[in-house]
Amino acid sequence: MQTINPEDAASSIEETDKASRKAVTQSAAPAAAQAVVALTLSACGGGGSSGVSPAPVVPPVDSQPPASVAPTRAQAARFLAQASLSATPAQATEVQSLGYSAWLDSQMAIARSSSNVAWLRSKGLAIPDNRNSQVGSEPMLWRKLLSSPDPLRQRIALALSEIMVISISGVANTSFKQFAAGAFMDILDANAFGSYRTLLEQVSTSVAMGGFLTYKGSRKADPTTGGLPDENYARELMQLFTVGLVQLNLDGSAKRDAKGQALETYVQDDVTQLARVFTGWDIDTSVGSADDPIRVTSPMVNIATRHESGEKRFLGTVIPAGTDGVTSLRLALDTLVAHPNMGPFIGRQLIQRLVTSQPSASYVARVAAVFNNNGAGVKGDLRAVIRAILLDPEAHTEVTLADNSFGKLREPVLRFVQWARTFGITDTADEWRIADLSDPATRLGQSPLRAPSVFNFFRPGYVPPNSGIGDRTAPEFQITTESSVAGYVNFMQGCIANGISGLKPDYTAVKLLVADSAALLAELNFLLAAGQMSMATMSTLKAALESISATSATGANNRLYAALTLVMASPEYITQK
Amino acid sequence: MTTHASRREFLKRAAALSVSGVAAPLALNLAALGEAAAATATDYKALVCVFMYGGNDYANTLVPYDSASHALYTAQRAPIALPQSSLANTILNPTIALANARQYALAPGLDGLVPLFDASQMAVLLNIGTLVQPTTKAQYTAKSVPLPPKLFSHNDQQSFWQSSSPEGSRSGWGGRMGDLFAAGNGNATFTCVSAAGNAVYLSGQSAVQYQVTANGSVPLNGLKSPLFGSTACSDALRALVTAPRTHLFEAEHTRIMKRSIEADVQLTGALAGNTPLKTVFPSGNTLAAQLNMVARMIAARNTLGAKRQVFFVSIGGFDTHDNLATDHPALMAQVGPALAAFQAATTELGVADSVTAFTASDFGRTLTTDGDGSDHGWGSMHFVMGGAVRGRAFYGTPPVIANNGPNDVGQGRLLPGLSVDQFGATLGSWFGVSDSELLTVLPNLTNYSTRNLGFMVG
Repeated sequence: MQTINPEDAASSIEETDKASRKAVTQSAAPAAAQAVVALTLSACGGGGSSGVSPAPVVPPVDSQPPASVAPTRAQAARFLAQASLSATPAQATEVQSLGYSAWLDSQMAIARSSSNVAWLRSKGLAIPDNRNSQVGSEPMLWRKLLSSPDPLRQRIALALSEIMVISISGVANTSFKQFAAGAFMDILDANAFGSYRTLLEQVSTSVAMGGFLTYKGSRKADPTTGGLPDENYARELMQLFTVGLVQLNLDGSAKRDAKGQALETYVQDDVTQLARVFTGWDIDTSVGSADDPIRVTSPMVNIATRHESGEKRFLGTVIPAGTDGVTSLRLALDTLVAHPNMGPFIGRQLIQRLVTSQPSASYVARVAAVFNNNGAGVKGDLRAVIRAILLDPEAHTEVTLADNSFGKLREPVLRFVQWARTFGITDTADEWRIADLSDPATRLGQSPLRAPSVFNFFRPGYVPPNSGIGDRTAPEFQITTESSVAGYVNFMQGCIANGISGLKPDYTAVKLLVADSAALLAELNFLLAAGQMSMATMSTLKAALESISATSATGANNRLYAALTLVMASPEYITQK
Repeated sequence: MTTHASRREFLKRAAALSVSGVAAPLALNLAALGEAAAATATDYKALVCVFMYGGNDYANTLVPYDSASHALYTAQRAPIALPQSSLANTILNPTIALANARQYALAPGLDGLVPLFDASQMAVLLNIGTLVQPTTKAQYTAKSVPLPPKLFSHNDQQSFWQSSSPEGSRSGWGGRMGDLFAAGNGNATFTCVSAAGNAVYLSGQSAVQYQVTANGSVPLNGLKSPLFGSTACSDALRALVTAPRTHLFEAEHTRIMKRSIEADVQLTGALAGNTPLKTVFPSGNTLAAQLNMVARMIAARNTLGAKRQVFFVSIGGFDTHDNLATDHPALMAQVGPALAAFQAATTELGVADSVTAFTASDFGRTLTTDGDGSDHGWGSMHFVMGGAVRGRAFYGTPPVIANNGPNDVGQGRLLPGLSVDQFGATLGSWFGVSDSELLTVLPNLTNYSTRNLGFMVG
């Protein structure tokens, strides 16, 4: 019944790597001019050695300190706010001693921590009783975010999970949803510094995505019933994961016709045709049994009899009739990755997740150029893209720090994770019984892999209406409402004082400062807000904190808890600059 | 009596503000105007948008019932078709029967709406959807008229339904009606209220949507009681989260927090003064819980000083590519009882004639099936409910049941015969929006000669 066995499926991924490199090499020539820009800018970051030095698209507003000048402690903390999940004194010192570029290299070199799937199995969750439960989903996700020793990888995996979105409860027709989701996050984790093309293929053949966007089980057209291939994945793959709706210039701006109308990237016919590629995919029933999650953690396979064998024609590509399902999928993904929108479309979103909601056009162009060509002719090298984003002058300069529209709202999940990591939340039993935190009224209004739809908790193009932010995109404001702003502070107030789900914070280091309110606040400002809270705020808070006598143990705790709550409620903290 | 929002008065005040020489942004001027203007409406009216996220499957919501139609329907979607025998209790009997012996039945889960239809408190809109202008199939095929951009795309069609613009739109027609009436409300904050999170439908040019939860507003605990025992820390918290800021993101966050704190006090107080509703809303039903909160806010309308309100509630899960035969009936079984309870509550409150609820969704779906579900479509079937509805009637024309027939663009994706603009305008006229104002609320309305579909009284 099936065209390929699991061994073939495994080798097919590797072959695709080669295939995609080949495709990338072929498309490298037109990207060469853009690559020059990338190389020039990577030189600013201290890591480049190219002698080619034409002017960048737009001159950077400032240049990073040369590698020999160590970042200040506040600069290191600012960098960590963009690149990591917390900024403890030890981490800041590490950034100061290594410099940004080498710190990124060191993070990327950290061996991956044990996989989600391995953890679920180690907890005895791979039992038939869990076929229809989601037990373990949240603990699995919070474990990685709160304790994995590779914060950059976790930050990127979280960012990727907000671009190629699944929501666990929406993984339809799939048993062991927690395992399917775990395997999905393992794919994002594994490819966080790898090839976007490889990532796309692994995501596209994952059971979690197949179930969530419902192409798992999709069949070729049936003339007798009138049944047609499911268009869900074809549409969202193009709209959200690869090329987007409108044709983009390198700097992320829309290409327009003579009347000023944005040019569409694809039309409905492209969706209908691409949907034919995503037929025949289903769970690999040749492995394990229905009582074991291995079937949902293994890649889907293509079943030839259900795959549309006719010609598929989309985005100017023709996949000839008779092409098998696996090859069709590879050719389709090659076509999408070769599209000029990929760099600016994905690059801009990654900048938004890490650094700033409204990156300058030139920042997008610099990152997109690196996406197009990592300097070695490879397109979609996430390692290079992440370096380009985090080492860009726009991320670091004191000019943007002073710009009243630069930066982003910290995602609620990242605020919580930062608190937990900064204050050593740990679970010696490795159980991590933290729940879905997506209720805005009582929790964070956001939780990993719990978005209400494939459009994530917030859209990259969201512009808050009737706000002083004007025309700028500010995605996180989409979930910033009268309910959620209060719910978040209340939730954190409880966590700060009581811990979370039985896990207690370790405040030993900051407790030493409690008697000196100014010193305590200065340290919290550094730890949580990268020193970005103003003197005026510090002064207001100092006066208030001194209303709580810190002479008793209870008083000292209350002063600390109040200080933490006030800092984490502060708009100056909530806005990462 | 309804008094139309006075555009003349509005412009006069706007002019007065502008001669003051303050070069404030339009939104700020409008906001100032909102505080300054006197109420122009003396009665109370509310619109309630019930949005079904994901694109509701029209064919299993309003099911062709007469035998000829049911056979055509079944032929297009046998694996997911509802058997005729399951529909006997939900046949809709309009006052004036449809032509050609066409009959429709509601999904079985909507059985609670049949009595409302029979009591003329509910009407059905046939084949309604997003359009830029009236469009024939020939025009669609020839691409000779503008169409809503990004048809069949969830977020764009949600946005177009709510705002007449694709994704990225900043204001919706609910919010733009709110712009006209906020000034007449004692507290502008409660003009546009969402119990379902952020929706562009409720954002106006100046009106800002206010978010409640199904349980009401969320108080900031640190202000309700001294923060870790310290009143000074509570005061500092209030100052910190509400003080003006120069960074634009901080300033916007502050604005939201300030509104949160102020509205919580007002709303909590107002709700506390309500006589508890006797109407029982079904439990374990998120849509019902949201509508319960809407009913409670309507009950508190006088305390809140509300004359005109636009509410938004929603339920998700309608993107039924898979498992339609299981999932869609379950969704209908949420929607039906929730709407019925809401109508009962407005009757209990004596405001049935003043409150109009209507359903909306991203789009309809295909009539054809992909095996066990349906795909993204376009035109759909919707309901409008309330005492002011000319009910027990169908509006629009029953579409031909076909794959690539005269009323669909393939796969039974309906080419809408009625537009959201006409629908919104009909509601807007009832709400008190003048004909000229309707053209600003619904810019594409100008493309229609029929601007009132006639389903509202008065």
